[in-house]
Amino acid sequence: MIELLDPTTGVATQTIAYVDRPASLEGKRVGLIENTKFNSDRLLAKIGDILKSEYGVAEWRMYRKHNASVPAHEELIAEIRKSCDAIVAGIGD
Amino acid sequence: MPSQLTARRHRVEGTLADAIEFCFQQGWTDGLPVVPPTAELVGAMLGGARLDPKQEIGFVAHRGVSITAEKAAINAVMAGCKREYMPVVVAAIEAIADPRWSYHGPGTSTAGAGVLMIVNGPVARELDVNAGDNLFGPGWRANLTIGRAVRLVMRNVCGSMPGTLDRGTLGHPGKLSYVIAENEAESPWTPLHVERGFRAEQSTVTVMAAEAPHQFYNQLSNTAEGILTTLCDDMRISGNVMGQPHYAIVLAGEHMRTIAKDGWGKKDIRRFVFEQTQNTHAHLKRTARMSGPIDPGDEAKLRPLIASPDDILVVAAGGRAGAFSAYIPGWSSSRSSQAVTKEVRRGSAA
Repeated sequence: MIELLDPTTGVATQTIAYVDRPASLEGKRVGLIENTKFNSDRLLAKIGDILKSEYGVAEWRMYRKHNASVPAHEELIAEIRKSCDAIVAGIGD
Repeated sequence: MPSQLTARRHRVEGTLADAIEFCFQQGWTDGLPVVPPTAELVGAMLGGARLDPKQEIGFVAHRGVSITAEKAAINAVMAGCKREYMPVVVAAIEAIADPRWSYHGPGTSTAGAGVLMIVNGPVARELDVNAGDNLFGPGWRANLTIGRAVRLVMRNVCGSMPGTLDRGTLGHPGKLSYVIAENEAESPWTPLHVERGFRAEQSTVTVMAAEAPHQFYNQLSNTAEGILTTLCDDMRISGNVMGQPHYAIVLAGEHMRTIAKDGWGKKDIRRFVFEQTQNTHAHLKRTARMSGPIDPGDEAKLRPLIASPDDILVVAAGGRAGAFSAYIPGWSSSRSSQAVTKEVRRGSAA
């Protein structure tokens, strides 16, 4: 019999407090978080326009992260918290 | 006496071969057999760096993961490290957990970065970290197992599992292990770690998120400018030409001697390469690397590969014979991941 030590570590679980999803986007202000990848701003602007024309969003505004590999920085999150009711964020190539 | 090992224990019936197979079945390996990590071996590995098992070596904020000495040591045993290698493994883990290296990108990206580790200072010679023949190839235990240990930590502790969190489209063989030393004994130049703020007698590891090495030939020139002109012509279109964070240039024996004979230092090399690897906007647009139509003036408008000559790491390493050297593009784009140098600390209790 050989006894082995486990080399893995589970990721620590975190509790994240989400605000409730709005029942409707009608009249809401939407933030679009752009990750700096090529054309991500154009894709998000398109999404923003659809949210306005089809879902009644009042306005959208684009926010830019420092780069795609890092979380949104504190100043950006503070600004979004003040001026948005909902956000669209994502990552992809 | 260090505190107790607290990792979960698995009892495997049978022989050593059964234990090796068990490690495969658990998904703990990189595809090669590992040394089964028993408490005795892990204890010895921790002793190699005088570490307490509970000590945190790094915290990867993006993953919410604490890398403890115990987990690092278990993975170093599995990789086949000697206990003397452990301080180098620890320094490399500290470096990849440094926010400047920005783990989340190179640990997950489709662009498939390896962790290039350049060892400097006395520890490289003491541990026989290869700086010469067959630099990136097989043959040296320290080179193959130190990098492997770091990659196993990335897999088993940080969760960078190929195909799930590690989504490298192609990856490259350096993702198994990618460790070199600088040939300080024969180099005419300031060692990398001294350029980066350490004393010559200190030992360090520099990590850079990196593509595979690209070898270039120049068997013709006997001048610095000739060799570096060939390098630049090879390098000009490489990696993410729209903005690399780093390049490493690895100059092997013959090229190193020829360049040094002309009186060129590392600073001269960096400046020359920075200037001679720029592309015109017109070329980048014609070759579908830059968007938009070619505008008047684009034939003369230059775009550098990297933001500054200081983003080029110059390392003297490789075999004495053969008119070959290499350049290594860094990963991704500027500001995404910076090369980080950490001191290898030995002998002092943590």
